[in-house]
Amino acid sequence: MRNWKYIFIALVIMLFAQSVQAEEAAAKKLSYDERMKIIENQFFAAAQEGKTIKGVLVEGNSLFNGTTAPQNHYEKPYAKEELRPVKFSAERNSKVFLLTKDGTLYYPTPPKGERISQSMNSPRIPRVLTEAQKKGPKLKPWATLVPLVGMEVEVFGEVYPGYGGIKGIYIESIKFEGDPQFEKQD
Amino acid sequence: MAARKIISMKSIFYTAVSLVWIFGLSAIGHITMVLIEKNNPAIKFNFGKGCFVAGLIIIYLTRFLKSDGWQSFIGIMGGFGMWFSWEYSLMYAGERMGVTYAWNGSYPEYRLMEWSAIALVMVFTYLMYQESVRCNFIYFLRRKLRLMRGVVATGKIDNYGPRTAFEYIMITWTFYVLLMLGYDEQLFGAYSWFTYLVFLASFSVFFYLCYKLLSYDKFGPNLKYAIPTVTILWNDVEILSKWGMLKEPWVHINWPIMSVIIAGFAVSTYLIVKDLRKRKKEMIESKDIV
Repeated sequence: MRNWKYIFIALVIMLFAQSVQAEEAAAKKLSYDERMKIIENQFFAAAQEGKTIKGVLVEGNSLFNGTTAPQNHYEKPYAKEELRPVKFSAERNSKVFLLTKDGTLYYPTPPKGERISQSMNSPRIPRVLTEAQKKGPKLKPWATLVPLVGMEVEVFGEVYPGYGGIKGIYIESIKFEGDPQFEKQD
Repeated sequence: MAARKIISMKSIFYTAVSLVWIFGLSAIGHITMVLIEKNNPAIKFNFGKGCFVAGLIIIYLTRFLKSDGWQSFIGIMGGFGMWFSWEYSLMYAGERMGVTYAWNGSYPEYRLMEWSAIALVMVFTYLMYQESVRCNFIYFLRRKLRLMRGVVATGKIDNYGPRTAFEYIMITWTFYVLLMLGYDEQLFGAYSWFTYLVFLASFSVFFYLCYKLLSYDKFGPNLKYAIPTVTILWNDVEILSKWGMLKEPWVHINWPIMSVIIAGFAVSTYLIVKDLRKRKKEMIESKDIV
C-alpha cells in the first residue's frame, strides 16, 4: 500500500467521472441555459396570447375551514396577522392553491399520467425573469410555492378539468415580483 | 494544552494555506451540488451514494498512513464525502415525505436536519465523557463544568484520519443545526436576536480561532483546527446570504469569483502536498497534538 494516495486520487476521479459522464449525456440533449430560454419564450408567447393564468397563492386548510377568506380580498388576500400562520401551515405541507380574480381555484398537480408523485409544495418551478429583473440583483431562476403564499403570481402550464369546480394545473413556469424569502415579515 | 509558541512567518503561512484550503473545499462542495441540481438533477442521489462509498473507503485508507499531516489531509476528504452523502440522503427523505421549503427559503434537507438536534446533543454528551477525546473545546467544558472523575487518557494518537473525518462531520453538523434553529421562524427567525447573536459570536470567535491557529506550524494540526475556524466563518457567510446581503458565488454560480476560489484551492492543495512529501523525505516525525 505504498502508493495508496494514488488509489485515493483515482477514487475521487471516479466519483467525479460519474457526474461528468451523466453531464455529457445531458449535454447531448439541451444545456440548462437553452432549456431556460425555451421555457422563457414559451411563457412570454403564452402570456401574449392570454394563455397564462394570474392569481394569488392561497393556503388550503384555512381557506376550506373558513378561518381565512382570501377569496374576498384579491388585492390583499391575508391580513397582516393572518399571513404568518398561513405561511407556517403551508410549510407544514398544507396544500397551496392558485386563486384567480374571477374566483376560480386551481390545485397544483404533477403532469397528467405521473402516478407516483410528491407534494407540489416542494418541487422547484422554473422562474421566468423579465429583462428588468435580469438587470437587477441576481435572483434565483426557480421558486417553490410556499414562500409565495399570499402573493400574486403568473403561471404557465397545463390545465386539467379537475373535480367539483376546482381545476388542476401543472405549473411549468412561474413569474412574480421581488424576492419574498428575503422580506422581513413581522 | 499545546505549548504556546511564538507566532512565526512559518505558522502564518501554514495557517493561511489551511484556511484557504478548507474554505475552497467547502465552496467547491457547494457549487458541485448546485451544478448537479441545475444541470442534471437525475444523478444527484447516485452521486450521494458514490460520496458515501468514497468517504468510507477514504477513511479506511488512512490506516495506511503514518504522518498526522497526511492523515488529517485525507481524513477531511473522507468526512467531506460522508457529509455530502448525508445531505443527499436528507434530500431524498424530504422528497419522499413531502417536506417543503420553508417560507423564508430554508431547504427541506436542512429543515429535516434541524430536528437531529437531540441526536447531536446525545453524541456530544458521549464525546464529553469519552476520555480519549482531545478536542480543546471539550477540554474547556470538562475543566469548567468539572465533568471528569479521573484523569483523561494521554499518549500518542495514531488514528488522526478517522478522527479528523469525524471532527469535520461533527463541526459541520453542529453549525448547520445551530443555523437552522436560528432560521426557524416558529422558534427564533432569520431576523431574531438569536441569529444576530450567532452572527456576532461567529464573527468574534473566528478571529480568536485564527489567533489560536497561528500557534501551530505543521499542516497536521493546522488543517485540523482550520475546520472549526472556517466553519465558524461560514456561519456568517450563510447568515448574510439568508438576509439577502450576500449573493453566494457558489449558489448563484459566479464564475469569476469561483475561479479565484478554485485557483486558491488548487494552489493550497499543491503547497500542502509538497510540504507533506518534503516532511516525509526528511523523516520528520510528527509529535502528538494535545
